[in-house]
Amino acid sequence: MSNPVTTDAAEKRGIVRQVVDFLVSEPADTYRLLFYVGLVGFISITLFPFYWLFILAVTPRGQLRNMGLVPEGFNPSVFLTVLQEYPLHHYIFNSIVIAGITVVICLVIGSLAGYAFGRVEFRGKGPLMLLLLLISYFPGITYLIPLFEMLSGTLTIGVFVTPDLYNTPWSMAFPFTMLSLPLTIFILTTFYSQIPDGLEDAARVEGTTRLGALFRVIIPLSAPGVATAAIIVFIGVYREFFFSFMMTDGQPDNWAVLVYGILNFQQQHTELWNLMAAASLIGILPVALLVILAQKHIVRGLTSGGLKE
Amino acid sequence: MGNVSLCDAFKRYDDIVAVNEMTLEIEDGEFLCLVGPSGCGKSTTLEMISGLTLPSDGTISIAGDDVTDDPPKDRDIAMVFQNIALFPHMDVYDNISFGLRLRDFERAEIDRRVEQAATIVKLDGMLDRSPKELSGGQQQRVGIARAIVREPAVFLMDEPLANLDAKLRVHMRTEIQRLQKELDITTVYVTHDQEEAMTMADRIAIIDQGVIQQCAPPLECYTRPANEFVATFIGSPSMNRFDGVVRDESIETEHLELALKPERGREYELGDEDGGRDVSVGVRPENVYLVSSDDEPASPSASFAAVVDVLEPVGDQTYAYVRPQSASAPPSTDGSLMGDATEQLLVSVDPDTSIGEDERIEVVFDREKVHVFDDASGDALTHGLVGPLPTDDAASSSEEVQGD
Amino acid sequence: MMRTIRRAVSPVLYRIERLDEDRYGYLLIAPMFLVLSVLAFYPLARTFWVSLRADDLYGTEPIGAFEGIRNYWMILSGDANVVLSYPFFSLENPLSSALVVTVGITLISVVIGTVLGLGMAVILNKEFRARSVARTIVILPWAIPIVIQGMMFYLLFQPSISSLVEPLHDLGVLSANPLVSSRDSMLMIILIDVWRKVPFIALIIMAGLASIDRSLYDVAKVAGASKWQQFRLITLPLVKPVVLIGMIFYTISSMKIYGIVEASTGCSTVPTLTCLVVDTFRMQRWAMASAIAFLTALIIGGIVMVYLVQFRAGVNADE
Repeated sequence: MSNPVTTDAAEKRGIVRQVVDFLVSEPADTYRLLFYVGLVGFISITLFPFYWLFILAVTPRGQLRNMGLVPEGFNPSVFLTVLQEYPLHHYIFNSIVIAGITVVICLVIGSLAGYAFGRVEFRGKGPLMLLLLLISYFPGITYLIPLFEMLSGTLTIGVFVTPDLYNTPWSMAFPFTMLSLPLTIFILTTFYSQIPDGLEDAARVEGTTRLGALFRVIIPLSAPGVATAAIIVFIGVYREFFFSFMMTDGQPDNWAVLVYGILNFQQQHTELWNLMAAASLIGILPVALLVILAQKHIVRGLTSGGLKE
Repeated sequence: MGNVSLCDAFKRYDDIVAVNEMTLEIEDGEFLCLVGPSGCGKSTTLEMISGLTLPSDGTISIAGDDVTDDPPKDRDIAMVFQNIALFPHMDVYDNISFGLRLRDFERAEIDRRVEQAATIVKLDGMLDRSPKELSGGQQQRVGIARAIVREPAVFLMDEPLANLDAKLRVHMRTEIQRLQKELDITTVYVTHDQEEAMTMADRIAIIDQGVIQQCAPPLECYTRPANEFVATFIGSPSMNRFDGVVRDESIETEHLELALKPERGREYELGDEDGGRDVSVGVRPENVYLVSSDDEPASPSASFAAVVDVLEPVGDQTYAYVRPQSASAPPSTDGSLMGDATEQLLVSVDPDTSIGEDERIEVVFDREKVHVFDDASGDALTHGLVGPLPTDDAASSSEEVQGD
Repeated sequence: MMRTIRRAVSPVLYRIERLDEDRYGYLLIAPMFLVLSVLAFYPLARTFWVSLRADDLYGTEPIGAFEGIRNYWMILSGDANVVLSYPFFSLENPLSSALVVTVGITLISVVIGTVLGLGMAVILNKEFRARSVARTIVILPWAIPIVIQGMMFYLLFQPSISSLVEPLHDLGVLSANPLVSSRDSMLMIILIDVWRKVPFIALIIMAGLASIDRSLYDVAKVAGASKWQQFRLITLPLVKPVVLIGMIFYTISSMKIYGIVEASTGCSTVPTLTCLVVDTFRMQRWAMASAIAFLTALIIGGIVMVYLVQFRAGVNADE
């Protein structure tokens, strides 16, 4: 009590020695400590940029310069501003519609193909799957020019001119289908091939056709797989940048997607940091919800798709 | 009418012939077992009858209609599967009524039939359960109920008991038999277990390498096997076999001579022209006796000495593996061809018999139960070396095809 | 009405039912094949064809006469650098050439990302309460839109608002405005790339970890191996093939890097290969752009081959 400073120092030295002793004598606990340090480290590094967005968004504009790590003031109305003054919701709506279209196309085509790859023994299966892998390996830019020609109505085949789809949802949905279909098929192939043999035979003996068995038995049973594929495709399209950026002129009425909703702030209103942050947070919201609700599906889908060689 | 007939049914996968020109007639109400080692083509045969696989060649008809190219749903059949194959996303009621619902039956009729089927397989009160909540035996009952509810012309069963534990298997065996007799529906039953086939079937078809080796009632397959394959496949433990040569008055093997006299005469398949022929002699363990035991057969063969190797008591009898000692007869010229398998002889003895391992004993064969097969083709030449044989042998009937 | 449809359709269904396995398989993949032919195979062929033509900056169509591999030759020899907004490859100023920038970013990002991913996988593979919460949090960076990934770090390194830039500048790590310095921007792009891809490779490695037979660890424990030895002697060799697969996907994706650049520092400070293609495309030089795109694909192909050889060697060594 009389001399708190020295006691403190002594205590500190004591603690350090204790910690070292502890680490050496209890290796199991050392590993546990490392584990928690690692876990906390990863989570805080992961979350820090999100936190930064949040404090930027809620800090009133006047106090933004050289701000610290805690918000100076609280201004939640910024989220309303983003929606009211800039049609961010319109961009997000466009993104969701286009992602939805892509999911439907991919699931319809991918279900048939995934079923064939997973459950039908046909010749040339291996090479065809490799071909699928090849598509996802080429950079998006190698497809850009012909797709741009085709979808902007400048490609002529004989006397026919392809329809001008530039500035419509299709100019993005088609390229996204091409990008997402291989992964959809890999995920569904894995799921279909895990359904026990015999169920299909049983259904056929009981009175369905082969296609009937696919729709009555196989697809209902692989519902988790179909959901997984749908979620992965949806997220994939929602986060996509390249074709979203190239295939519209950036006007929300022309089906410009979230990419432009965010970039517009950067390119036109350079000083509106808090609005940029708020818009980003709102843009994250749909996928964040999806990730929280469907974490297991996403993990399963990414690994099953990724590990298929 | 639920007769099934296969005519020259042939199935080829790439360069493997799974079923080779099979012709088989299954009568209405009959319980026929297809039995054979794995990969012999028995399941492919069943799949061709069901329509899950289409034959490369030949025809299949059910109840008199040619259904060779019809899909499964257009054949009047129902099937029970080895892995049971219940739809996990449907409850028991929906599983059983699946086929009826597909065929747009009236709701009331579906209910009535499902109730009835559930009662037959003793599943009352479980209709709203999910298959996952049921035990293995109960699941298979649902599978059977799903098959009988449609009242088909033919039941097809693909090793339905293979995934059940031993005790349940024996129990379900009797139940399926009882059910089949009650419903009087033609049944084709595939199994690799010869004992299952023997106990359940009206007739069994033994298949090897895509070819029917013999198709006959179980006891006939046992007592009068058409060839060496059937002889060794049917019966557990397996039949003992020795290589031998037909001599003038006897069949000579390494350890003993089986006299063909005094009854040798024209009734025998083994005629004079068989002299010098290489044969395989087969005798079942229960047809080998210890000399001087109480139940010595009426017409014993010459005895020979053997040393007990291993004793395996199984309760109602004891299996003794014995090694025959050098025979009284001079060593046969082709003795070197004998494999290890023929070195040992399995004898079934009464459990009360007091013999010990390494003991020297004298054994005899029951000459009435000795089978002789042609060494080259494997076909049976005779069953029993005594008395007038019945007129032509079953071995030459139309169902029997050579093993090569 | 329904009956007519049924009658019209049933012979078709009957035909389908009678198809053999081969044809049935082909029928089911036909829609996929059709769609991909139009949307993927045709564009690939077309891009390649365009890359063999001349640029036509003044005609009605931006594609000129056939020239064979002249575009490729010009790009590789550096003759094309005068018409490009930044060189494809240049010895004098490597940090401003697209190839060096892209390969550099990829290399550093893959090495750091894989090591961190391995650590994250080991941690998240352990059983602990709230593991699924931790997994959910950790997936987030991968799932959010690319443009927002870029935007986040753009705001984080904005010198006028971020309190991060000044201390880092004082330490000599960054310059006063990192968003306009090529070197700093590259570091920033690498940081974003690692941040968003660690979860992805960690998930793949986790799937590999989950497939390791637990009893091997019991054997090791009985033999007296420490945790670190267990990791080095059991986990690492068994998980190596999966790590390589993850690295292949990581590398392919990093070589195509574009979105986070466009959304944060801009293509002029960090000129990646895709940036170069897009800029060239915008200058109406379609043929040249196509040639660079194909070259990029070839380079990625070469890198993937290196991995596959490694993978084979690893698998063979285990046998």
